[in-house]
Amino acid sequence: MIIAVLMPIMMTLIYGYAINLDMKNIELGIIDLDNTSHSRDFGESFYVSGYFLKPSRTVSPAKADEFLREGEVDAVLTIKPGFAKALTNAEKYELGLLIDGSDGNQAVAASNYAEMILVQYALRNDPAAAQRGVNMSVQVAYNQDLKSSHHFVPGLVAVILMMISALLTSVTIAREKETGTLEQLLTSPVAPREIIVGKILPYIGLAFFDGLLVLLFALIVFAIPFNGSGLLLLFFGFIYVVTALSIGVLISTLVSTMQLAMMASLLVTLLPSVILSGYIFDVRNMPYVLQLLSRLVPARYFIVIIRGIMLKGSDLTVLWVEAAALIAICLTLLILAIKRFRLKLM
Amino acid sequence: MLRIILAIIKKEAVQVLRDPMMLRIIIMMPLIQLFVMGYAVNFEVKNIRLAVYDLDNSADSRQLQSSFIGNGLFTIRQAESKILDIHRGFRENIHDAAIIIKNGFARDIASGKAGRIGFVVDGANAFSASVAIGYASRVVYRFNQQRMGLDIPLSIREKRLYNPESKTVNFMVPGIAAVLLTMIAMMLTSMAIVRERERGTLEQLMVTPLPVSALIIGKVTTFALLGFLELSIFLLIGFNWFRIPFVGSWWLLYLLSFVYLFTPLGIGMLISTLARTQQQAMFFAWFFSVFAMLTGGFFTPISNMPKVVQYITLLNPLRYFLTIIRGISMKGATATMLIPETLALIAFGTAMLALSYLKFSKRAD
Repeated sequence: MIIAVLMPIMMTLIYGYAINLDMKNIELGIIDLDNTSHSRDFGESFYVSGYFLKPSRTVSPAKADEFLREGEVDAVLTIKPGFAKALTNAEKYELGLLIDGSDGNQAVAASNYAEMILVQYALRNDPAAAQRGVNMSVQVAYNQDLKSSHHFVPGLVAVILMMISALLTSVTIAREKETGTLEQLLTSPVAPREIIVGKILPYIGLAFFDGLLVLLFALIVFAIPFNGSGLLLLFFGFIYVVTALSIGVLISTLVSTMQLAMMASLLVTLLPSVILSGYIFDVRNMPYVLQLLSRLVPARYFIVIIRGIMLKGSDLTVLWVEAAALIAICLTLLILAIKRFRLKLM
Repeated sequence: MLRIILAIIKKEAVQVLRDPMMLRIIIMMPLIQLFVMGYAVNFEVKNIRLAVYDLDNSADSRQLQSSFIGNGLFTIRQAESKILDIHRGFRENIHDAAIIIKNGFARDIASGKAGRIGFVVDGANAFSASVAIGYASRVVYRFNQQRMGLDIPLSIREKRLYNPESKTVNFMVPGIAAVLLTMIAMMLTSMAIVRERERGTLEQLMVTPLPVSALIIGKVTTFALLGFLELSIFLLIGFNWFRIPFVGSWWLLYLLSFVYLFTPLGIGMLISTLARTQQQAMFFAWFFSVFAMLTGGFFTPISNMPKVVQYITLLNPLRYFLTIIRGISMKGATATMLIPETLALIAFGTAMLALSYLKFSKRAD
C-alpha cells in the first residue's frame, strides 16, 4: 500500500526535477591571455548568459587538459592575446574552445551557446550591422518557458499507470498460483469470469487513484496547464489501464512464479514504456527496427494523447489516429488475456 | 573458515545456476538493456519538421528556405494553407516548427533594412524546441553572412575531446554497465536472503554451527563474482559492438569496481532485513536503482538539477561510480584524478557493510 501511494509521488518529484534536458550551468574555465577590458567583458558575458558557470578554481593553460579529464570543468575557452585589437580594427581573430565531449548532449549545447554568445557580443560592438540583414523573432507555443517538466510529468502518468496495473496484477495472480490459492478459488462455486473481474477491479481503482495523484502534483507543484477535456483524458485513461491489466493477466498465465512475473513485467512493460514510447527519447531518431517495435507499445499512444490534451488542448479530431491504435491494442490484448486465462483454467 | 566460505559460495552458485529462468534473466537482462538503450537512447535532435509559410515568394525568400535544408536538421514541409493552421499542425503533430517569411522580405533586405521573419516552435517538448531555436538562429546567421556579407571577424575554433562525434551511445554504455552492476548485486543479494527466510532455510542455517560472518561473506562473495562476470561480459560486448574506444586502464576500472561493489551488496543485505517477501525485496532494489540512476547523472548532468537535488545526489553512491567508470573508459582518468570519488565509495561501502552486519546479526538472534 505504501508502495502504491508513495512511489508515484516520489517518481513525480524525481522525474520532474531531476530530468532536465535544457543544458545550463556548464562549467567553463576561461584562460584570458589578452587581459584587456574587452576580453574581460567578453569572458564575463559567458557567465552572465546563465548557460555557463564559473569553476571554483582558475584554469591555467598548462592545467586545461587535466581539469577537463578530472571533470573539474566541462569546457575551456582560450582568449589569445590580440582580442581587443582585433575587435576595434575588425581583424580576423580566432578563439579556442576545448570541450569535454564525453556527454555528447552537453558538448553540443556548449558549442551552440558559445557561438550564440560570440555573435551577440560582436553585434553589440557593431550596432550598424545589427540593423541590417535578417531579423528573426521567435515564438514558442504551449510551453513558453521551455520547461522540461511540462514534457516529462504528463508522460509519467503513462509510465506509472502501466507499472501499477501490469506489474501488480501479474504478481498477485502469479502469487496465488504459486501458493495454490488460485486452484482453491477455482474449485469454489465462483465463476472464473467473476474471479478475474474481481481481481482486476481493485487495481483499476488503484491505478486511477495513482494517476490522479500524479496529475494533481503536475498541476499544483509543477504548475503544468491543463488545456483540454478532462473527460476525454479519463476515457483514454480507462482504455489504457484495461490494456495494462490485460498485459498483466497475460504475463501471469505465461510464467510460473511471482519472481518471474515481476521480472517479465519490468522487461515487457516498464522498459518499453520509458525508453521506446517517446517518453524521453524521440522515436523518430531511433533505428527503423525500434521504430516498428515502438508501434506496439501502448504507452507511445497514451503519451501523445495525454500531452496533447494537457498541453495543447487537443481533441478527438486530431487524436483519432492514436485513439484508434490504442483501442485496437487494448481489444487485442484483452481478448488474448481472457482466452489464455480460460485455457489455463481447463 | 575458508573452507566453510567456499562451501557456501558453492551452495549459492548451485542455487542460482539451478534455476533456469533465473539464469536466463541474468543473461538476458544486460543484453536487452544494452541493445534497447544503446540504440534508443539518443539526445540528438534531427529532422525537425518545419512548415514554411512564404508570403514573400521571392528569390531571396526561397534562398533563405533552402538554407534551412541540407544539414539534415530540418525537413521542409511546404504549407500552402493559412497561418492559422500552424497551431493545428502542432496539435495534429504534423510539424514541429514553422517559419513565416513576411511579405516584403526581399524588398526590405535589398533596401538595407532588417528583413523580418517569424519562427514558431512547438514547446511541448522543451528540449527539442530549444535545440530547434538554436539551429534556426544559426541558419539565419549563416544566411546573413553569405547573402548580406555581414561577417563577424571573430570566430571560434572548437575541439571536442574524448567523444569528438558527440555520440550518446559512447556515454550511455559505460553508464549502463554501472547501473547493471548495481542492480544485479543488490537484487541477487536481497532476494536470495529473503528467499531463504521465506522458505525457512535461513533459520536452519542459523542453527548450524556456521558463524554468521562466514554465512554473509560466502553469500556476498558469490554475488560479487556474479556481478563481475556480468560486468565483464557487458563491457566486452558493449564496447566492441558499438565500437566505443576504451582509453583508460582496465586494471583501475576493475579495482574501483571492486571497491564500489561493497555498497550495492551492503544495500542488498539491508533490504533483505527490511523486506518480508521476495516481491518486496525486488521492488525495493529496483526502486533504489531507478532513484540512483536518475539522480546520479546517468541521463542528465547533475549540474542541471535544482540546488537541493544536487545536495541529495551527494548521498548517491552511483554518482561517484558513474564518474569513475566514464572517466576511466572515455577520458583515461588515472587513479590520482579519482581520489575523491574513491574515498567516497570506500566510506559508503564501509558504512553499508557495517550497518547491514549489525542489522543482520540482530535479526539472526
